[in-house]
Amino acid sequence: MVAEYQTLLKPTSRSRRLQANLVVILATVATLIALVPLVAVASYVISQGAGVINLDFLTQDPPGDLSATGGGIRNAITGTLEMAGVATLIAAPIGILVAIFNTEVGGRIGAASRFIIDVLAALPSIVVGIFVYALVVVAQGHFSGFAGSLALAIIMLPVIVVSTEEMFRLLPRPISEGARALGFTRWRTYLSVFIPTALSGIFTGLLLAVSRAVGETAPLIFTSLGNNFFSTDMNEPMQALPLLIYRNALNSAFPAARDRAMGAALTLVAIVLAFNLLGRWLVSRRRLARNPGR
Amino acid sequence: MEEVEMTTAIDTTQTVVAAPFAASSDHALPDTSVVLKLRNVDAFYGPRRVVRDISLDIARNAITAIIGPSGSGKSTLLRCIDRMHEVVPHARATGLIEYRGIDLYDRRIDPAAVRRSIGMVFQQPNPFPTMSIFDNVAAPARFNGLIQGRNGASDLVEQCLKRAALWDEVKDKLRQSGTSLSGGQQQRLCIARALAMAPDVLLMDEPCSALDPIATLQIEQLMVELKASYTILIVTHNMQQAARVSDRTAFLTMGEDGAGYLVEEGPTGRIFTQPRERLTEDYISGRFG
Repeated sequence: MVAEYQTLLKPTSRSRRLQANLVVILATVATLIALVPLVAVASYVISQGAGVINLDFLTQDPPGDLSATGGGIRNAITGTLEMAGVATLIAAPIGILVAIFNTEVGGRIGAASRFIIDVLAALPSIVVGIFVYALVVVAQGHFSGFAGSLALAIIMLPVIVVSTEEMFRLLPRPISEGARALGFTRWRTYLSVFIPTALSGIFTGLLLAVSRAVGETAPLIFTSLGNNFFSTDMNEPMQALPLLIYRNALNSAFPAARDRAMGAALTLVAIVLAFNLLGRWLVSRRRLARNPGR
Repeated sequence: MEEVEMTTAIDTTQTVVAAPFAASSDHALPDTSVVLKLRNVDAFYGPRRVVRDISLDIARNAITAIIGPSGSGKSTLLRCIDRMHEVVPHARATGLIEYRGIDLYDRRIDPAAVRRSIGMVFQQPNPFPTMSIFDNVAAPARFNGLIQGRNGASDLVEQCLKRAALWDEVKDKLRQSGTSLSGGQQQRLCIARALAMAPDVLLMDEPCSALDPIATLQIEQLMVELKASYTILIVTHNMQQAARVSDRTAFLTMGEDGAGYLVEEGPTGRIFTQPRERLTEDYISGRFG
């Protein structure tokens, strides 16, 4: 006892302190290095794109010839939002049901399902694009916004499943036991207790999935193809922001195309950022909801 | 729909399994003085036996306390009765548990129907966090088809909250979240929620262990009032509580094999003053456990 007390009084050795400081310094340096590309990309996109964006840019369609000046990116904004919206309508219900399945079903079947979702999450997005091309585009004989939505839905599905499953697993056991002890069926327990309780978390996962999907280019190249004209018809080829950026950036020798790509890039970053901020806001609201004042 | 299900689940069993009671009226369950009959009940988690060979009769309109040290299988035994034990993966129970002559573990019995007749109150108050006080009481009854429409729900909610001695404290804030209440109020809300299902038996698993002495007293008074209409089983660590509220007491302890078994059961007064077994005497006098 006395010996321990004396150990406490002994000053920390110099090398010990140096070691502790070294870790802090290394961690700080690593963080700064990680921030460099992030800040560089953001500032470059803002400096190059901010001057391009104005009301006309957001509300007009691009000119037929991408080397021509003028026009905007309206069709790409609506196309991105429409395809992401339809993709969410496809992926969200399926994803939530798969998450319920994964939470409820144990054993080999449950493990297999979770493994498949992990594989799906790791699938390169271009492979998803080729898959939907073979499945829908070839079968229908034409590119379409719907094919693009389907490809985006496949990208979103594992994100939704994993985040929703996580929310279900976080629910306190007494809550689920309370429901079961009142004679609730499993289905009723999910519908009336689990999903409402986990709702903001599920919604946050959805937003993360959407913000990932709107940034995808590869799955759209073979599916929605792109469209120079304004179209909301899901059966027609549809323009999207990443596709527009890709095509215009390839022709950046033309100043007009280069500027258009930069303006569209900044718009896309802003949309993704908006979805992320909305998600974070919902998470913070959930934390507040857990500890309500009397 | 669910109500129909429940009635058929019990009715068919009544005619098939509970043949001796076939002469009783069409829908009412046989009026027996013994509501629950347990014979040679064993409970397992995987290969591990946690409850061994318990036989016990539970009297109607009485409070039976189950006491015993930690690990003696009290909660597990309670959970076997409303078939909540099997909700845990790899958990199972064997032996006979009869509820008014019906074998609760008969293949044709729907566990959800059992849980509608046998209500349960847990150690931790567990109101549904996204539901209002009103809905916490009304929703379970509504889902099980016991009430229809808005007015029926209002009457039931008021009646159950009054029975649970919570009405006066919450009548002006029925729309607020159930989790906004204090711990003791939450527990009474959970009791009201269980009563809304019109159960016959109420299982209470250490309902006061998370509560302060005042809230504990309120719940105890409530239990004594409720026993006129319900059969109550309470698991408690608190021997004074068992002595105060219960009519009969069952003492469980853990055997050398790690499984809980019944040492003795009898009228509470006798168990606490003249226990037949040495183990019981040691436990209630605080010499072990």
